[in-house]
Amino acid sequence: MHFATSFWQRAPSQRPLVVCFCLVSVLTIGCALLSLLIGAGAVDITESWSTLWGQGNEEAHFVIMELRLPRTLVGLVVGIALGISGALMQAVARNPLAEPGLLGVSAGASFAVAAALILGASAATLAMGVAQLGALAGCFFVMIAARLQGQFKDPVRLVLAGAALTSLLTALTSILLMYDQRAADEIRFWVTGSVAGRHLSNLVTVLPYFAIAAAITLYVSKPLASMALGEKVALGLGHNPRTIRYLVMLAVALFAGSATAIAGPIMFVGLVVPFAARALVGPDIRRTMIMCLPIGPLMIIGADILTRMIAQPAEMPLGVLTAMVGAPVLMLIVRAKRLPTLA
Amino acid sequence: MSLSHSSSAQLTPPSGYWLLRSKHMSLLLDRQAIRRNILLSVALLLIGILSLGVGTLSLSPKEVVLALIGQGDSMTQFVVNELRLNRLLAGIYTGAAFSIAGCLMQTVARNRLATPGIIGIDNAAMAFAVASVVGVGIGLAPSAMALTGAASATALAFIIGGGSGTRGYRFIVAGLAIGSVSAAVSQLLLSQVHIDTANEAYPWTVGSLSARPEEQIPWMGWITLVGMVVSIFLCQRFQLMAFSDSVMTALGRTPNRLRFSAVAISVVLTGFAVALAGPVGLVALVGPEMARTFAKHRGLPLVSSALCGAIVMVLADFAGRTLLSPIEIPVGVVTAVVGGPYLLWILIRKPKRSTL
Repeated sequence: MHFATSFWQRAPSQRPLVVCFCLVSVLTIGCALLSLLIGAGAVDITESWSTLWGQGNEEAHFVIMELRLPRTLVGLVVGIALGISGALMQAVARNPLAEPGLLGVSAGASFAVAAALILGASAATLAMGVAQLGALAGCFFVMIAARLQGQFKDPVRLVLAGAALTSLLTALTSILLMYDQRAADEIRFWVTGSVAGRHLSNLVTVLPYFAIAAAITLYVSKPLASMALGEKVALGLGHNPRTIRYLVMLAVALFAGSATAIAGPIMFVGLVVPFAARALVGPDIRRTMIMCLPIGPLMIIGADILTRMIAQPAEMPLGVLTAMVGAPVLMLIVRAKRLPTLA
Repeated sequence: MSLSHSSSAQLTPPSGYWLLRSKHMSLLLDRQAIRRNILLSVALLLIGILSLGVGTLSLSPKEVVLALIGQGDSMTQFVVNELRLNRLLAGIYTGAAFSIAGCLMQTVARNRLATPGIIGIDNAAMAFAVASVVGVGIGLAPSAMALTGAASATALAFIIGGGSGTRGYRFIVAGLAIGSVSAAVSQLLLSQVHIDTANEAYPWTVGSLSARPEEQIPWMGWITLVGMVVSIFLCQRFQLMAFSDSVMTALGRTPNRLRFSAVAISVVLTGFAVALAGPVGLVALVGPEMARTFAKHRGLPLVSSALCGAIVMVLADFAGRTLLSPIEIPVGVVTAVVGGPYLLWILIRKPKRSTL
């Protein structure tokens, strides 16, 4: 008891990382289990539980292994990807509101996917690289915008620019879809953002991109922490800020592009997850990113469970739920007396 | 344009103005603004006639004019007066309404990015209207629901943004968040209904002038007209909002009451326009901006905003119908393609004049 109170009374940056990580991980694992157990099908919780341990009938086995397991795994990967990309983007833009969904990176990826579909690819055989390319274009736009505005002193301006880019790209996507009914049918279930009905093969195709992005993230985490002290400090410590920025943008594009390619554009996850992580363990980028690992999947899988429960027997789109959670957090950040700057 | 009482008989108008005087009232008219407004009206008329002539049955401008004044063969008359005129009028009314609403909201927030579309009023109105179409909640008409939605979103944005008279971007971000929640709610509602109903509602949710109930259009016209007349009468007071609150108070106005009336007019116009045409919010950004550059008005360019908004809306609809025909691009998509880059340009450019 004494340990618990003293733990929460400490400043976030003083809390032991291992303890926080384990606590949240337990929650995440619990959520993942719940996600395997709960669903709209005729398989109820007890039956699912016994199936997980190798008993149960054919049908229950199918429901859990073919429907719920891929969904949970996709949620895991997408959550990690979006959470980390949000943290990276916020660190490099020095802006707590920077987020791939809000800044048009996800919209860039979906536009690229729509264009690829029109040009003849089908959703199943779609080369995943397309989405990452689109995301990269979105990232570069954000960087150019940030350059032109002198690092975007006003955090909110960048978000507005992102909103403008998103609305432009969404409009272009819908024009593309009007051209082609087949593509429209294939993509309509995808543009709202969901982890349902994804195959494990989709997951396997993005894993290489995911691995590259993870490697880059490992490489840049230390220089990024020094860049938080200012570009001159980073330069003095032997890191080239420009290279670091380009590398980070590449990692963000790979992460966000992969996540969008699997699950469609999901807004606000990249905003909420690092926000929660910083609230828990303080502003150090390395600690934040480590905490994003369990918090991202927690949010996505948790939201996914809720989408199955709220509108039974139908499901509501996952993107809708994350927007409902994320928008109040956005307001919370903006409502603060002084806009929090990233140290 | 301004109304003022005066008692002295010898008054010479400032240069560039006409002075109309009667016993109790006098009216100062900005000559240049009036000239430009006449130009804009002529442009709107020409564009309207052109767009009436385009379609499966293409008509020459002369045929259109003849049909409008009740001559020409009955086929042409039917096509122009029964089929196409309503759509044109809907475009003009909603464009003007959106634009006036945007102009007023920009003045209140003292920020030219604070238009109803950006601060989420459009999306909220849409969500409520969709709720009414889908059949959730009370059985109110879509326009009444849209109005409710617009009003509650505005109230929320002002509460979260830190009271009235808020300058900064905080207000706008609060609106952005409200807008995305509302958009999510619209999607949620549409995902609950039958796929055919959802597909039917789709063009409306991105903003479209096609297939609107005819009986709503004259109503929209009256509402736009009343909103415009009221705001022109209050124009002189609204212009004071460019100054600080203490100046306003010293000049004998109550700042909060002024703001409230401006926001109320803006909300009513937006609500009804969304119920008719869907969320075509970028017109509210582009219209007043065009009016400011073109009409070079010294005060609040209400009339030119309305005209520019109508022109933008009609042109966008015209482009949407002709560019990719036979596919019809909804007017909301066209304005997003044009207005999005414009908004980006405003943001990326050196912030020389970002506030009003």
